[in-house]
Amino acid sequence: MLTLLLDIITTAAILFIVSAGLLAIFGVLKIVNFAHGAWLTVGAYCAVVTAGLGLNPWLALPLAFVAGAVLGALTERLIVRPLYARPLDAILATWGLSIVIGQLITLWFGRDVQFTVSLLSGTVDIFGTAYSLYRLFALAAALVIGIGVTFVLEGTRLGLSARAIIMNEALARALGLDTARIRLVTFMIGTGLTALAGVLLTPLTSVDPNMGLAWLIGAFMLVMVAGSSFGALAVACLLFGGAQVIVSTFISPILGGITIAVLSALVLRISSKGFSRV
Amino acid sequence: MKKTFLFTTLAGALFASTALAADGEPIRIGVPVGLSGANSVVAPSVVQSAELAVEEINAAGGVLGRPLELVIADDASGAAGAQKAFDALVYQKEVDVLISMETSAARNAGLPIVARGKVPYIYTSFYEGRSCSPFLYVNAWVPEQQVPPIVDYLKAEGAKNYFLIGSDYAFGRGMLEFARSYVESTGGTVVGEEYLPMDGSDWTAIISKLKASGADALITSTAGGAPNVTLSKQLRGAGVALPYANLAVDEGTAQSMGADAEGILISASYVTGIDSPENTAFLEAMKAKFGDELRTPNDLSVPEYEAVYLYKAAVEKAGTTDTQPVLDALAQVSFVGPRGTIQMNAQHHAPLTMYLGQVQADGSVSVVESFANVDPGAQCPDL
Repeated sequence: MLTLLLDIITTAAILFIVSAGLLAIFGVLKIVNFAHGAWLTVGAYCAVVTAGLGLNPWLALPLAFVAGAVLGALTERLIVRPLYARPLDAILATWGLSIVIGQLITLWFGRDVQFTVSLLSGTVDIFGTAYSLYRLFALAAALVIGIGVTFVLEGTRLGLSARAIIMNEALARALGLDTARIRLVTFMIGTGLTALAGVLLTPLTSVDPNMGLAWLIGAFMLVMVAGSSFGALAVACLLFGGAQVIVSTFISPILGGITIAVLSALVLRISSKGFSRV
Repeated sequence: MKKTFLFTTLAGALFASTALAADGEPIRIGVPVGLSGANSVVAPSVVQSAELAVEEINAAGGVLGRPLELVIADDASGAAGAQKAFDALVYQKEVDVLISMETSAARNAGLPIVARGKVPYIYTSFYEGRSCSPFLYVNAWVPEQQVPPIVDYLKAEGAKNYFLIGSDYAFGRGMLEFARSYVESTGGTVVGEEYLPMDGSDWTAIISKLKASGADALITSTAGGAPNVTLSKQLRGAGVALPYANLAVDEGTAQSMGADAEGILISASYVTGIDSPENTAFLEAMKAKFGDELRTPNDLSVPEYEAVYLYKAAVEKAGTTDTQPVLDALAQVSFVGPRGTIQMNAQHHAPLTMYLGQVQADGSVSVVESFANVDPGAQCPDL
């Protein structure tokens, strides 16, 4: 029972980590960033590079955030900026970008699975149940990311401007906000967070050029349901992640794999705004 | 007419000294293989094996005086990609034979095309067994050859309760179905059997079930490459330290897992540590040809090398590349390769020497025990 509870909470935490960057971009910029899986992969390969250079594996976290943000800045300027008014084209453009990134990684590193150093190994005893230390760390990481993002949104000038853009962009610009710069910074934060998530995934999954794809659909569904609110994303991760674990445990892991997609479709059918009013 | 004849004779005389170098219309070998998708980790080693065999055979004069030529096609490790690859190889490239290591999904998708195009097909990947077609030969192991050594070993170590985990596809399910029946026939109990889709990456719930099941041994059969690595990482992360037999891991993948793979038991018809002159010569030739680019030869790539030689022997015995005579000859010829003497005489399958190995901390595999000439059993009684 305790294990089930821990499985639910840590699964939700991992889903939150993986989706946070996508939400940052979708919530403020209204751009569906289909290159999300590719940014995850870029982050994970930052861990490979860090290990290859013989550096402390934890250094991969800041390195990936910076690499993700810098590459995100280039992407925003060169590809996404002309497409804000054409969100459907942006889906195609980012999907294409993800293919390009995947191929570049394949060219550079090859198709095979890369070896990465485990950040934290072993288990800890929680009331007599041995549980994976890394999954508990992932829970802490999700809390840090959630609190950090909330602080930026609620407590900084940037967050205030971002919220203004979410509510009414034309008015925000009329009031003299530099919306182009705010978009750039938001996009950088989104891709940086996603690359960071890629590093955090390395102890849980194989690192190969296609690794991001497995996470893309789930993250995409959760963000559609969450709209533009990180609180709603956390709720969605807990409910849907929990449902996934429960279905996998008591019915079948194969059905568990489609739980998030099915539930998201149901929720969006009933209420087109999903959980964003939570 | 006479002129042409004279020219041919002259040319023949001129090139007599280089007669060993094969000329004439090349014999085309189609290799549909998973360069992308789940098999992409192992596919390059398979291609390298085929390249070495073809180079060696061509340097020694080819087959019936004709050089061999490889035509590689990506089957994307799945059914849809395989249909395209087989169609292109059989109908556009008009290959003489197909020799390949593929997923079961890809093989099943390709077989109808092979039957329609009437091309011999040597399948060089271990698989779940009982795939039968007059056009299909298999020179790798089936569950009847691979599972018993590993279960017998676990049993001798004291295992009674087994937990089975696999990827949800023909190979994963087929292997574990056989493992379950073999475990039960030897007096063991299967306390759990769970599957995840091939592209699934979250084993959380399954691992929790495993830990709660009271199992004292674990047998897994996932898709090769990524799912193997993901499952092993999450098992180790969750602190699972049961005796762990993996029916689908190769030495190369074990190496990329590092310390996470240590202690995993494997059962294979090839490990690099086989001590025979043929294996030593093969490994040296691979090293000389590919140098730093060499992908560790493994249980999926070595049968490809041997299959090219088996095809050569069959064509030479038949005296032609025509399909029916070659198919008849394939059951009669044998080749002594890195895995020993291979002959596909048992209902289109091959008796093989099996090795029980254990992965070491550095990713290498040490042989615990070997079992000579394990019979594949009744795979295709109707052939």
